[in-house]
Amino acid sequence: MTEEATLTAAVPTPAHITESVFYDFDMFYDPAYLADPHKRIQDLLENAPPVFWTPRNGGHWMLVSHTANFEAARDTETFSSEVIPHAQIEAILSQLPADSPPIPRAYPINLDPPLHAKYRQPIQGVFSPKAINKLKESIRKLAGELLDEIVDKGACEFMSAVAQPLPVKVFLKLLGLPVEKFQTYSALVKAHLTATSGDAGEAIGRLQEVANAMRDTILARRDDPRDDLISLLWTIEIDGQPATQQDIENYGVLMFIAGLDTVMQGMGHGVRHLAMNPGLQDELRADPSLISDATEELLRRYTFTVPPRRLNRDIVFEGVQMKKDDRAMLFLPGADLDPNEFPDSNRFELNRGGKPHIAFNAGPHRCLGSHLARVELNILYEEVLARLPKFHLDPERPVKFSGGHIIGVQELYLAWDK
Amino acid sequence: MKIRIDKANCVGNARCWAVSESLFPLDDDGYILIEEADVPPGMEAQARRGARACPERVITIIEDDAH
Repeated sequence: MTEEATLTAAVPTPAHITESVFYDFDMFYDPAYLADPHKRIQDLLENAPPVFWTPRNGGHWMLVSHTANFEAARDTETFSSEVIPHAQIEAILSQLPADSPPIPRAYPINLDPPLHAKYRQPIQGVFSPKAINKLKESIRKLAGELLDEIVDKGACEFMSAVAQPLPVKVFLKLLGLPVEKFQTYSALVKAHLTATSGDAGEAIGRLQEVANAMRDTILARRDDPRDDLISLLWTIEIDGQPATQQDIENYGVLMFIAGLDTVMQGMGHGVRHLAMNPGLQDELRADPSLISDATEELLRRYTFTVPPRRLNRDIVFEGVQMKKDDRAMLFLPGADLDPNEFPDSNRFELNRGGKPHIAFNAGPHRCLGSHLARVELNILYEEVLARLPKFHLDPERPVKFSGGHIIGVQELYLAWDK
Repeated sequence: MKIRIDKANCVGNARCWAVSESLFPLDDDGYILIEEADVPPGMEAQARRGARACPERVITIIEDDAH
């Protein structure tokens, strides 16, 4: 079988797509992308149009330049997060029998203003930097426990040993879910990560399992609140109405899909870079106060999320004609590697003069969990550098990546001297 | 020197606050609390760094008018 055969089928090119904006790139299966994603992104920045249309995956725009991403992310009237319009989803759901199991909705990630703010505002305080800073010590303890288990082994597959379990443990702790649910949620994360069919029914089924697994705790906290997020969610109001059990399940599902494999992949990309750069490990071990700058630069250098949008209207955007209901990807990894925004953009540079990246997106959909993600990444790097001796990639087992809406690290084999 | 902030377009990155908690105070939701503030003497460099750190580019530094 040739590599070409593994790509998704190309759809016919619509009439408004001109030759100058056409570029064939499969964000799920491009072979060079899967071999070394950020190297391929560098190639796209050099050789593809800054905004292009690809016939793969049903056909969609790719916004590659920093300017295109920054402008589109903040123009929510044109670039809708309702990949399927909200009213259309409501109409479909209202046709379902009244006794069918509830379908979780990951509000507000898939809503446009002003409805977006109604679901986001009530939980902003919970994810504010001040609130998140209170979790630091418990996150540090969880990270330390996982690293202590591998330090004497001299080698590990980092994703399964640390990067996957740590965010799951933080998620259980934050929401107040019992630690015994660890295996359940680990299995759900794995199913979520390895799902390839794209079948909507199966996706809904997985989200229902996520909601099912937290339902006991949600109901228990309603009657007997504790110091955890689920208890807090019972006290909030959404648009003047007390949150319902369905609202709380929706928030739980949102935090599951937005907060687990994302942080995990951030850790994978960051630790891979450290493993490839022993000099940087030395520098950060000698002066751990530099680690927070390193966390930011790793996020910039290896930005890994690709949020989807739907065109709400016809528009000439960055000189390109787009049509209503076209799909567009905010290719944030391209934005943060754009040499027009970050000189010598492929170089890891600890001091970029405080210039900000948009790894957490821009505009009103800025990642609600960004402060938690930063704390998790920063603590993970601190603890890895403090507890492990100088580590490197296992030359026998190359790193494996995956594409799609999150550039994933599937396998990251590390080794060090015991 | 003054800090001027387009508060309506703050999306809560809090990168300014990470530079200086006193120059860039946050509300309980983690969004910027102020629209304008005088920069105390000696904190000019931090004010500039905080402004530069904003991914939304909503913070402006107004330099003192040198007559």
